[in-house]
Amino acid sequence: MLALFSLLWSALHFGKGMLVHFDDTVVLQIDSSPSQIPYYAGRTLLRMWIAFSFSLFFAIGTGYLAAKSKTARAFILPALDVLQSVPVLGFLSATVVGFMALFPGSLMGVECAAIFAIFTGQVWNMAFGFYHSMVTIPTDMQEAASTYGLSPWQRFKTVELPASAHSLIWNSMMSFGGGWFFVAQSEAISVMNKDIKLPGLGSYMAAAIDKGDNSAALWAVVAMVVLIMASDQLVWRPLLAWADKFKIELTESATPATSWVYNLLRGAYVFTWFDENVLQPIADALSKVSLPVPVKAARLRKRHKRLLWRAIGVLIGLWVASEVLSGLYAAVQVLHGALSVELVLHVIWLGFLTLLRVAAMTVLATLIWTPVGVWIGFQPKVARFAQPLAQIGASFPVNMTFPIVVGFFVAAHIPMNWGSILLIAMGTQWYILFNVIAGAMAIPNDLKEASRVYGLRNWDLWRTMILPAIFPFWVTGACTAAGGAWNASIVAELATWGDTTLKADGLGAYIADVTKTGDTPMIILSIAVMSLFVVLMNKFLWRKLYAFAERRFRLD
Amino acid sequence: MNTKEIAHPVAELSAVSKSFKTAGGHELKVLENIDLAVNQGELLALLGQSGSGKSTILRCLTGLVEPTSGRAMANGKTLDGVNPNASVVFQTFALYPWLTVEQNVAVGLMAHKVSRADRDAAVDKAIELIGLGNYHAAYPRELSGGMRQRVGIARALVSQPKLLCLDEAFSALDVLTAENLRQELISLWRSQENGLSSIFMVTHNIEEAVEMANRIVVVFPRPGRLGLVLDNPLPYPRDTKSPEFQRLVSIIHESITTMTLPDLPAEVPVAGQPISRGRMRMESIPFVPVGQILGLMSILNDSPELSNIYDISDEIGKEFGETISIVKAAEILELVDTPKQDVRFTDLGRKFVASDRVGRRKIFSEQVFKLRLFHIIIALLHENEEVEADRVIKDIASALPYDNPERVFQTMIAWGRYAGLMDINNKTRMVFVPEEDEEVAAGDTRH
Repeated sequence: MLALFSLLWSALHFGKGMLVHFDDTVVLQIDSSPSQIPYYAGRTLLRMWIAFSFSLFFAIGTGYLAAKSKTARAFILPALDVLQSVPVLGFLSATVVGFMALFPGSLMGVECAAIFAIFTGQVWNMAFGFYHSMVTIPTDMQEAASTYGLSPWQRFKTVELPASAHSLIWNSMMSFGGGWFFVAQSEAISVMNKDIKLPGLGSYMAAAIDKGDNSAALWAVVAMVVLIMASDQLVWRPLLAWADKFKIELTESATPATSWVYNLLRGAYVFTWFDENVLQPIADALSKVSLPVPVKAARLRKRHKRLLWRAIGVLIGLWVASEVLSGLYAAVQVLHGALSVELVLHVIWLGFLTLLRVAAMTVLATLIWTPVGVWIGFQPKVARFAQPLAQIGASFPVNMTFPIVVGFFVAAHIPMNWGSILLIAMGTQWYILFNVIAGAMAIPNDLKEASRVYGLRNWDLWRTMILPAIFPFWVTGACTAAGGAWNASIVAELATWGDTTLKADGLGAYIADVTKTGDTPMIILSIAVMSLFVVLMNKFLWRKLYAFAERRFRLD
Repeated sequence: MNTKEIAHPVAELSAVSKSFKTAGGHELKVLENIDLAVNQGELLALLGQSGSGKSTILRCLTGLVEPTSGRAMANGKTLDGVNPNASVVFQTFALYPWLTVEQNVAVGLMAHKVSRADRDAAVDKAIELIGLGNYHAAYPRELSGGMRQRVGIARALVSQPKLLCLDEAFSALDVLTAENLRQELISLWRSQENGLSSIFMVTHNIEEAVEMANRIVVVFPRPGRLGLVLDNPLPYPRDTKSPEFQRLVSIIHESITTMTLPDLPAEVPVAGQPISRGRMRMESIPFVPVGQILGLMSILNDSPELSNIYDISDEIGKEFGETISIVKAAEILELVDTPKQDVRFTDLGRKFVASDRVGRRKIFSEQVFKLRLFHIIIALLHENEEVEADRVIKDIASALPYDNPERVFQTMIAWGRYAGLMDINNKTRMVFVPEEDEEVAAGDTRH
């Protein structure tokens, strides 16, 4: 109960700040005394959770719709696919302007834009995940539900949601981890040559670096790590341990997820109370809405209902289509006359430069982390610590620390064209590491024993067993890392340290530049080109590699 | 005995013991003081139930697992790491799914320094020998189970090992495929082609051991130790229906039965105390679901002509080892008696099958309550309202050091639930005595 009240209080307390009056001629001052950190951390955390709640509902909604309706699926899946490839950060300035227009004179607009950025960073992956687990529910479970005549709502809560719970929570955890990057970035942005700061850890860090206050910057990093670890330990690990019971498998997993918080909370009276006094009444109220109806009437009503749903579906589809078309029309209007062939070619050339950087990052991170990951994966004791650490590493918004690293580049005279590769790798390499660890841990014992019996060593062992076995995991990790790298390039190719601004030649720096100056046609063009690069990479590289890994290197 | 003295062991265990840590962190002794030698030219079968430690013996012998104490030797020298002259055929095949048949077989030669041409020739020969001629370029997942295991055998033979080890190599295959493969392997071994001379096989299938091996060693569980050692001089090919064959099978049956279901003298009743073997000695319980005990009772009731334990095993279609466990469970509950190889109802057992559902539960509950193991735990539960599962498991571990305490605990909960004596709340991991329902209450008041 106390936990519930404190949750309510903190939401109100930190939420109050959102409605503060905002005058866009005055830049909000960030107080860089360490005692303010808890407040800023609270604001950041609140932003994360609001965005995550929207993501969750949206993901379940679209995933459900795509799984249930063929027509919806035909639109939703390709749309998700493209949206997933769009670099969110490129849009940030555009959405900030849009939301500010919605809430004039209040920070609420910027707040919404930040939340929207986090939302778009995490939602597509979750929607895909939920859709996938919906369509892979064992047929017998669905058939049993049909036999007992469950209503769609009953079916959803007794079959579909529990069966998807484990993958939904896992995906949520990964997406939430990815969200930190966007929250840190969106708290301190400059749009149309104006600096806008939202109170939060990201802006605190930016302010500290601006002032050259190293101890405050260090405090911010520590607070961020604490926040990420607390979210992991207090929310995600307990949820995963709890969701273990929803896993659909016949044999007990060798290493069930454990969480000390879950062990502590399990069976606590609060949950029973919450279940009996809150959840059950809601569920009862909901089930009253969908009472079973006599068969004959039901059939008639069903037909009416289906017509009604179809009509609603068509209306929504028309609305979305008209929005998209008018958006496209507006974009073409803006672009018309502003573009030249040379300009487009130049942007594509910059795209190639960034592509090289993304590729270099992937190759380097693979070369460095594969041996380390395999070594860790083969020692269960080390892996138990190292894997969550790598996950936290992947969650940490390294973009907070970019200015410091850039300062080092300036001091060491490292050209930004090379240094930006390191900046990109700082955030994305971890995906490769923890997937390689997972792959090495998943090698079945009998294959390991066979390798020992037949005396495989060194290169023989790597090419016969280790590399093929971890390949599917590496593809997942490298694909995620590369996708993140495109986004990261927007903040990694152009960075400031005090008065020095370092810039690399690349599409990321270009996007950062044009969003700063508010050059709308160029923003549209550069984002479109980057999205195109990502889509093409997915289609012609990662999709192929996934299929190849699935065909050749599946363990069964 | 003369042949034994000149026999030259290719692999040997001397005074080997092995302990593992269970998932719950308890130290579990799997093997105790094992002396075993595989001699040049013999086909030795190690026979035991699942969980008897026979696979661990194989792993110690090949160097895959290091003994906790004692020595593993190959050709008279203490093993350091994996025995390079031994190869293993795995129950799960352990083929690399990304390599073709040919490449999988070539793995067997990877550690040997041979030229490419020699290697290709050896791989071809092994593939032909094991009848995989047309499958060179196929991937394991395109093959049936039997064909996959052929690849496993070819991979094991390609390097001409001094010792071939079979770890339940036929148990994942269907009956016909397994029989076919067994015959082929025996004729390979007898023809001495490909240099195959010594085979060490681990199995739970008695007929399989008698059919293939010329020496059989039976291993008994908790902790794993060697029992009966039997020379098998029957000429190959062996006829499983012949009386000599059946005689050997029944010798092994008898040995297992007397070890597992000994004919103990009846205990002297003490006034006011429950009388039971289980009450006097601390004894583990077989890991058998309650439903199987009930099933055994009704089969015995329906077919009074079934008296021999082997016939029962055939009738219920279970492995002999499993059948023994079920019978043993019924025996420690005093529902059946097992003089020699027979299984007979006790008076209580007869009363049990004649009772209705409530009556059966009552008898079951009374009998379970008499078992010393249950007695101790239930006494603990009566002192405290609830006891943590980990505490109970710890008590079990100290009372039964050779058993896997987590598995004993799970079986106890299953029996205790049916008997209405104990239950666990899996949310809180607390063990408790369930509220007595009226059905069983009458039974409990008698104590």
